[in-house]
Amino acid sequence: MDVQGQQMTQSAPTPGVFKRNPPIAGEAEAIEAAKNGDAEAFSKLYALHKRRVYTLCLRMLGNVSEAEDMTQEAFLHLFRKIGSFRGESAFSTWLHRLTVNLVLMHLRKKGLNLVSLEETINPSEEDAPKRDFGSRDLALTGSVDRVALERAVASLPPGYRMVFVLHDVEGFEHNEIATMLECSTGNSKSQLHKARLKLRELLRQPDPIAQPNGLKEVAV
Amino acid sequence: MTEFQSLDFDKMTPADFEQYLPEFFSNGDGHVSNDPRLQTFLRNNPDCAALVRDLEAIADQARSLFEPTEDQDPSDAVWSNIQNKLKQDLGGEDELPIPQTV
Repeated sequence: MDVQGQQMTQSAPTPGVFKRNPPIAGEAEAIEAAKNGDAEAFSKLYALHKRRVYTLCLRMLGNVSEAEDMTQEAFLHLFRKIGSFRGESAFSTWLHRLTVNLVLMHLRKKGLNLVSLEETINPSEEDAPKRDFGSRDLALTGSVDRVALERAVASLPPGYRMVFVLHDVEGFEHNEIATMLECSTGNSKSQLHKARLKLRELLRQPDPIAQPNGLKEVAV
Repeated sequence: MTEFQSLDFDKMTPADFEQYLPEFFSNGDGHVSNDPRLQTFLRNNPDCAALVRDLEAIADQARSLFEPTEDQDPSDAVWSNIQNKLKQDLGGEDELPIPQTV
């Protein structure tokens, strides 16, 4: 399969992602059975990976309906092309890369060609993190609540969210992200930094009802 | 980190620090606060140190999002649609079983 110009057959293992994708018990057997058309094996692979694939799609797209459609597409691609998986790297790494490529292809089909995708990575001025660097009264230090972070990530501008999810959540390296998004490595680094600054800003906004545990101040 | 060779880490301004921060993060394995070259600067610039700690906390917690929580499942309709499409592929012969929750 060729998804957005990238062969979905096996390439060299990706250290940044592979280390976070250890083998799952029973997965190898299910993969081999699925290659032979075993329906039970398909359902097992879906059960094992549906949550991660769906969450990845949801974070990248920010839309439940589209995320479900892309989850469906990812597994259909998987089941149809599982014969090209040779087991040289983690199955979930392969599946995640396939999913990312499908989502990016989907976004480009929606009108984000190579140039406009680069533009999308750079959000408007009002979405950009504010330059409050050095303002002492805003300097909070502490831990980040998972739920609050998830909510803040969902509210990021799409370009920021894409790079943040791929790097900080999924564990892709900047050079991989640059290849996937067809931008420069420096651009990926810069957008990641801006995304984190924007998240810091979002997490510090007081919202006692919806966001009780944003960036909590802790004693040091 | 050849781009930092001419940089005096102890005498750089907060603006210099801000400019180089994305590179510090990408070269420092995500933990700028542990970089021995920056210790004096961070000690002398508490706002910069607070910024670094916040950004590190965000990056650290982001890694925990990799493992989804139990409430982050797609709806049952997704599997039904997959089943239907695969049945079409297989000529409508087999019924795919309901996947077990894991």
